[in-house]
Amino acid sequence: MSTAAAHGAHADAHEHHHESFIRKYIFSTDHKMISRQFLITGIVMGVIGMVMSILFRLQLAWPDQKFAILEMLLGRWAKGGVLDANFYMALVTIHGTIMVFYVLTAGLSGTFSNLLIPLQCGARDMASPFMNMLSYWFFFLSSVVLCWSFFVETGPASAGWTVYPPLSALEKAMPGSGFGMTLWLVAIALFIVSALLGGVNYISTVLNMRTKGMSMNRLPLTIWAFFFTAILGLLSFPVLLGAALFLIFDRSFGTSFYLSDIWLNGVGALENVGGSPILYQHLFWFLGHPEVYIILMPALGITSEVIATNARKPIFGYTAMVISLMGISILSFIVWGHHMFITGMNPFLGSVFMFLTLVIAVPSAVKVFNYLTTLWRGNIRFTPAMLFAIGLVSFFISGGLTGIYLGNAALDINLHDSYFVVAHFHLVMGSAAIFGMFSGIYHWFPKMFGRLMNNTLGYFHFWLTFIAAYLVFFPMHFMGLAGVPRRYYAFSVIPEFNVWLEVNQLITVAAIMAGFAQVLFLWNFFYSIFRGKKSDANPWNSNTLEWSTPVEHIHGNWPGEIPTVYRGPYEYSREDREEDFYPQHIPGDDEGHGHGAPKTKSAPVHTEEPAAQSGNVLFSALKKVFGFSPR
Amino acid sequence: MKKMMFGWSGAKLFLLASLLLTATLAPLSVFAQADPASDVIPAPKEFSLSTSDLVSYAYWVLALLVLLVIVYIFNIGAASEKLTGRAVINWTKVNAWMSIIFLVAGSAGVAYELIYHGKLLLPEAASAHGDSIDNMFNWTFGITFVVFVVTEVLLFYFLFKYRQKEGQKAAYYFHNNQLEIIWTIVPAIVLTFLVLRGYSTWHNITQTPEPKAKQIEIFGYQFGWKARYAGDDNKFGEANFNFIDPATNELGLAIKPSVIALRDTLVADTGRLGKDLRTLPAILKQKADQLSKMSLAADGKAYTDLEQELEDIRNGNKASELRKMMKRKGVQIQRINATLASKDMFNEAANDDKVTTEIHLIKDQPYTFRYRARDVIHSAYMPYFRAQMNVVPGMLTSFTFTPTKTTKQMQDEEKNPEFQFYLFCAKICGSAHYNMKIKIVVESESEYNAWIEKQKRVVEPVQPEAPAAPAAGSDTTATPKTAIKSNQKPSLAMGF
Ligand code: HEM
Ligand SMILES: [Cu+2]
Ligand SMILES: [Cu+2]
Repeated sequence: MSTAAAHGAHADAHEHHHESFIRKYIFSTDHKMISRQFLITGIVMGVIGMVMSILFRLQLAWPDQKFAILEMLLGRWAKGGVLDANFYMALVTIHGTIMVFYVLTAGLSGTFSNLLIPLQCGARDMASPFMNMLSYWFFFLSSVVLCWSFFVETGPASAGWTVYPPLSALEKAMPGSGFGMTLWLVAIALFIVSALLGGVNYISTVLNMRTKGMSMNRLPLTIWAFFFTAILGLLSFPVLLGAALFLIFDRSFGTSFYLSDIWLNGVGALENVGGSPILYQHLFWFLGHPEVYIILMPALGITSEVIATNARKPIFGYTAMVISLMGISILSFIVWGHHMFITGMNPFLGSVFMFLTLVIAVPSAVKVFNYLTTLWRGNIRFTPAMLFAIGLVSFFISGGLTGIYLGNAALDINLHDSYFVVAHFHLVMGSAAIFGMFSGIYHWFPKMFGRLMNNTLGYFHFWLTFIAAYLVFFPMHFMGLAGVPRRYYAFSVIPEFNVWLEVNQLITVAAIMAGFAQVLFLWNFFYSIFRGKKSDANPWNSNTLEWSTPVEHIHGNWPGEIPTVYRGPYEYSREDREEDFYPQHIPGDDEGHGHGAPKTKSAPVHTEEPAAQSGNVLFSALKKVFGFSPR
Repeated sequence: MKKMMFGWSGAKLFLLASLLLTATLAPLSVFAQADPASDVIPAPKEFSLSTSDLVSYAYWVLALLVLLVIVYIFNIGAASEKLTGRAVINWTKVNAWMSIIFLVAGSAGVAYELIYHGKLLLPEAASAHGDSIDNMFNWTFGITFVVFVVTEVLLFYFLFKYRQKEGQKAAYYFHNNQLEIIWTIVPAIVLTFLVLRGYSTWHNITQTPEPKAKQIEIFGYQFGWKARYAGDDNKFGEANFNFIDPATNELGLAIKPSVIALRDTLVADTGRLGKDLRTLPAILKQKADQLSKMSLAADGKAYTDLEQELEDIRNGNKASELRKMMKRKGVQIQRINATLASKDMFNEAANDDKVTTEIHLIKDQPYTFRYRARDVIHSAYMPYFRAQMNVVPGMLTSFTFTPTKTTKQMQDEEKNPEFQFYLFCAKICGSAHYNMKIKIVVESESEYNAWIEKQKRVVEPVQPEAPAAPAAGSDTTATPKTAIKSNQKPSLAMGF
């Protein structure tokens, strides 16, 4: 933190009152502080989620071994040092929930949308700083409720992160479906409120509060990504809220939305008839699939920005990048059925979902090719942020390609709910998005804390994590292809699975290695907050607006007027410039082309009417639809 | 451009080293703490403990060595950097070379995986449609593997090739319509191919009627499976979750005596619950007396349990629980009564059904598995047949396939005389989800006939010589008098 003293020194530059500790650090309405709150909470949750994964990985690798450490940590859940089968499920469930929602939705999108939307658009703060504060505190409350569920007699929710009913609906179906499940649902409901408050804010800020000259086609790709992410969240989270409410009703008020024809051990025949468990799955995945893009797109946005900055090259195909983001966003709403090919859904519907799912591969491929071409003939500077961005691209390729298997209904018959799925989503969503998040942290750390992180530790962090992640997740494909199902406490169901024991040990060792690599990161992060080397205003020689603000955070971001924007964000290595960058706010009579406008010299200045050219039809259409105009 | 290198103070170095050291050593102590004392630890089973220990120790020793080398390099680096003022470690070069090393090592790793783990994958499909799935898989693998290799190689090669160099400026290259159109259209064409092929495969498997298919019902429950064969009449008897009695009628089949007995039990239960409810005050008093004679010190858990029980009675939880149970049973009784008169439901078709704990199939005979779930969603997964379908309460699902290899054949092919097919659960369903399976035997028709002959009917025809009890008010129409099969409650027959 750039210390209160430094902050005070700048106070005179701006109307400023001295704030109490509480207003400044706790109930802050400043987007930069809120962003840091999201980040720190996300990191804490991430550590919890990771430790959980290591605990259950120990069980999978050495099922017969007794680990004193387990009993020490978990008490009655690991009597005699052996993990309890029910608690294994609980760990897997909460691990998945934490990673998906708390780390990679709130921790990633919450942090960087908050930090960058006002700074890169050129706004003094979010459209509604107060709602923004609420968004964080709902998230915080939600995290507390989720963690509380570990102290419940019957344990936390354990029906998998998808909490399919009837398993999750019937208290007697498994211990984790008791009070722990209620807490899970409450936590998710609070989380959704947080996500919606945030999303509304992000969208309105991007649409209404851009600075002069910041037309939509000059927005950095980060902002485009956050923008589409917020729209996805706004449209899909309410559906999950509905699904969760129905589930709460079924659990507590005797309704039968998801229940029918059930005879439960220890209870007998239930009264419920007429509901459908499949209905829940449709509702869940209507959020669930967009959710994976809610996770991934901010990471892709960050990657675009970091790669362009560090390859010192304009991002290749700006327009194509935006269009593919938009295509992915739209398509992501109509592919949820690929999670349900073999649920008994009409097989014809399966064919439709198969087609739509594989269509998504096209915009995804375009993004990969564009990243590659951006690197081609670049002048690549290896900052840790850059390495993590490259890591993302690598995971996005290897994880994305296996999506082509899973999206194929015929192949999914054998792959569904197998370790192949675990491998797939950990690469394309887990590892890729986490790497995007790391990339963002290393890149914008100077902006958030005014100091630099240590590069050397960053390099170690990257290579160790990168190699470990592949070691953990790559072999899982083969387990899946051999028919090993996921969410198994032990692989003893058929003798053939014993051959995977050694592989499981390798995976666990690699997971522990990955865990320790994160210690390097944590140390680097927290040490650098207080003792890192002081940063310059623009440490990466970047073009975007956030680097035109002073290093010390001030309310309103810019001491004087908000700078005007003169060109697109990716004018790197222009032939006509001495320096290899050309910040957006530096006046200059030419507009540049690096943002993907057609290379016609005929329209050097088109701030007023950027449309009328093939590449910009999209933007003019957007402008008409939304009625926004750059100030 | 600025130097990205920092000086390395001794303190930082020390911290890093001790950090990595603890990181390296901590797991060792974890392993060491593993309790070898209890001699119950099964002596080396599938894997020998010592081998796995060795492997893990080797990992950590290796890590330690690497660490030492690193620390050493840093020491030199930091010292000479101080002296000369020049960075010793050129991180641009290191990272660029690491990309290449990663690429080479990664390729070796992938090759290793494909060769060694590739062998562990499923053998050739043991079902007719399985070949088409495998075929689809091979096409997909071929295409994606090429894309995977090309893009990953380019990625890391570019990192190496275009690493930052003194005086180098990146190309100002941001757009190329033609190129972009090409790499949009080519993937689109390839994907069209995959979609069309996938569609026909999927269609053939799921939407092509198989008129000759025999039906078997597979019933999933927490935690196990049962199979039901239709019997001589080739007709499944009706079933309903309200008829389920875990002792006598696990699948809830429409067998009149059994269902009537169940209803009577339920009526009796309800009566008892009602009595409990009315006498709660007396029970409360009695239990309170009991508690007063106990002490926490002497009775421990029994004491606290009783205390909890009392508390539940006092605050009304007990009463509301009893009422809920009565209501639930009341509903079940009503539903049973409503169906009892139905001739369609109780058509005797269930009598000759056979419920088995193994699935036996005839080679090359098409089968339709009709799935029913008792409690939560399960998934019937048979990887060797390339077959999976969810098993959903309140909804009938099915999957049709033709086994093409007998168990014996598989045992020969796999060179494993123990080999068996299994159907196991792939949808999380509770604590024993990982151990929910049923054996499948594929055999010749004659072997199958011998087996099915030996299986018990759900209701055995009464032996002629056994003197039948006088049938008072019997509503059975034709057929010999029926009695429920062996493990029934003896009182059942009294209902008639
Ligand atoms: C240290 C890194 C990690 C390891 C070793 C790890 C390991 C695992 C394993 C082995 C499973 C499957 C367990 C089972 O099916 O029985 C699992 C489940 C899961 N993980 Fe991770 N994981 C890691 C990080 C992540 C990340 C970054 C994400 C973010 C998306 C994530 C999301 C999930 C989800 C959604 C599930 C599914 C939970 C469920 O089945 O309900 N994990 N993890
Ligand atoms: Cu999806
Ligand atoms: Cu199951």
